[in-house]
Amino acid sequence: MALTTSIKPTPEAQPAAPARPPRRRRIEWTYLAFLLPALICFTIAITVPALMGMFFSFTDSVGFGDYQIIGLTNYLALFTDPAIIGAYGFTLGFAFITVIITNLIAFLLAIGLTAQIRARVALRAIFVMPMVISGIVIAYVFNFVFSNTLPAFGETIGLDFLKSSILANPDYAWISIVIVTAWQAIPSAMLIYIAGLMAIPYDLYEASSLDGASAFGQLKAVTLPLMVGYIGINMIIGFKNFLGAYDIIVGLTNGGPGVATRSIAMTIFTGFERGDYAYQMANATVFFLISLMIALLQLRLTSKGVAK
Amino acid sequence: MNIGSTTLSRALSRRTFISSLAAAGTLMLAGCGATSTRTSIRFNQSKPEVVPYFRDLLSEFNGAQSSISAVHEVTAGLSAAFARNDPPDLGCLNYNYEMARFQERGALSDLSDLPQVQMNAPFVNELLALYPDYPGRTSVLPYSMMGAAVLYNKDIFAKHNLAIPQRYSEFVALCEELVDLKVTPIYSTFKDAWTASQGLADYTLGGAVDINKFFAALRSVGADFTPGSELSFSQAFTDPLLRMQELAKFSNKDAANRGYGDGNLAFANGQAAMYLQGPWALPEISKTNPSANIGTFPLPMTEDPDDLKVRVNIDLALWIPEQSEHQDEARELLEFLCRPEVQNPYNEMALGFGVRSDSPPAKDKRLVQLQPYIDRGKVFQGVSTAIPRTIPFENYMQGLVTGSSVEQTLATLDADWARLAQRG
Repeated sequence: MALTTSIKPTPEAQPAAPARPPRRRRIEWTYLAFLLPALICFTIAITVPALMGMFFSFTDSVGFGDYQIIGLTNYLALFTDPAIIGAYGFTLGFAFITVIITNLIAFLLAIGLTAQIRARVALRAIFVMPMVISGIVIAYVFNFVFSNTLPAFGETIGLDFLKSSILANPDYAWISIVIVTAWQAIPSAMLIYIAGLMAIPYDLYEASSLDGASAFGQLKAVTLPLMVGYIGINMIIGFKNFLGAYDIIVGLTNGGPGVATRSIAMTIFTGFERGDYAYQMANATVFFLISLMIALLQLRLTSKGVAK
Repeated sequence: MNIGSTTLSRALSRRTFISSLAAAGTLMLAGCGATSTRTSIRFNQSKPEVVPYFRDLLSEFNGAQSSISAVHEVTAGLSAAFARNDPPDLGCLNYNYEMARFQERGALSDLSDLPQVQMNAPFVNELLALYPDYPGRTSVLPYSMMGAAVLYNKDIFAKHNLAIPQRYSEFVALCEELVDLKVTPIYSTFKDAWTASQGLADYTLGGAVDINKFFAALRSVGADFTPGSELSFSQAFTDPLLRMQELAKFSNKDAANRGYGDGNLAFANGQAAMYLQGPWALPEISKTNPSANIGTFPLPMTEDPDDLKVRVNIDLALWIPEQSEHQDEARELLEFLCRPEVQNPYNEMALGFGVRSDSPPAKDKRLVQLQPYIDRGKVFQGVSTAIPRTIPFENYMQGLVTGSSVEQTLATLDADWARLAQRG
């Protein structure tokens, strides 16, 4: 009873001001009780350690024992450290290129797999497979392909650029990481696109074809405009995920050759593991703020999509 | 109906709950009864190759007395254990920069009153001095040392009548001769960055620069370190690293695509005359080819045979954390492990070298050639283990052997070191 009365709007109460925001709803304790277990777990496992990490980023702690508060020293050192700046440059560039390639291929695959073709469902299942294999396994398999299979192939057909592994080339090793990451990430982007394409009413295509639109014209005038929201969300989710690149790089190049392919997550983790705790906590805090901004952007886009 | 079944299940679950509580209580009591006479201590040792060996040693120890029950722990990730205030009671681990952080911050107890400490061989004490200890303490007791140098295929050397080189020029001439003979001189595995740094880089640097002196001087200038100055990596390391790049060219053509496992396989099958790896590779090589006829010699980097030195590191060292509540029991286990009849067979089995002044010499025929150098203290600690690992030295060395510039890499290394020194 209480619930219905609190939600139910009084129809003729405020006819003059329909745009006024609704009054604050009373908190429903039952709902909160449902939330509580998850909230407690999240706080203990994520929020508290994160806040502790942020605190330690202002100290010279090595993770245990005595420490001193040293203010912003870690942050100042961070912004002048070429290794850190290099890792940000690599990761941002890598994420940008990978997200474009992933979405382009995923979109084309989705269009193909929603078309009226034979064995559509079976093909979808096959294309989704990379998604269910763990990243590190994929990386080691591709590592073998890049270091042994391709060079052997190059040797046989006499192609010089294939003879040496792409993983050993400081200028091109990143390409291998883009290929493998995209290979793994395409299915999930593709599934979102398929869902989006299937939501487009068939009448629109019928109408446009009556108006004489070609297949390409339909793609341009019907499909793309209706898919913009999905493309935006896919791009942002993808970009955010690729920023955290770690397992595939470990399995492929481990940051090498030299330091050509060290990602931010890798810098944070290896530094932390190797005794540079407080400094990498500062790095992690900066990284968190960047991810947070992207997440907020995503939230805005998603809520807009819902409103539409 | 519904109400009835809920009450029933509730009653049942409550009964189950109470009975399980009782069961747990009984178990706990039983547990107490069994261990009340023995103090349980945790022994951490995670070197994978010798885990079964130490497991057997512990059961021997547990069987020999009735007051202590030692539990074998093989987990890595000590930082977390120390941060949680829950470190093992006795550690037996690789002595490296990570370990040194614990001793520097006073997390390890003082062992200086143990008689075994007085038995350290003199060069071992020199190695210990490479890392700063907590003032007034001896925090670790070395247990086993590894000596690494150039592994060579004796059969290939004998077949072509080749002599072991004593000078840098002789080594280059040897490599050129092997190339003429269509034999790959050195098998390299640059895909794994650590193999480039612990092998080629450590040997060339250690053979040319007095590593202990260099790092002692670096530590004494502390935050005043100036990149490019007289006392800097750019000044001290340029020449040896240029030579390293020259030597790297004598590697197999596909070195950049090959990893550690590939190297062991190839060298075991006689695909190259030399292989720059430590003794840890020997058991792997034997797995592939039990009859591989392998010897060892230090890499000459100067024109004076008197400068020949072996790269060593303290592979295992014992320590007892301050936080341990079972100091006495931990010491008892430590003394058991340090009995000559326990320690010496270990070193023989693990292809290590003794660390005490009365340790017997190595007997393995693949290592005997290094013993004279170790006896005379002609040893150095690898640079890769003297630089804090937060600086990606291994990756830098991998970069150098795959074509990066020495000048730029050393400038980066200088800058990294300066930043680290200034951050304290």
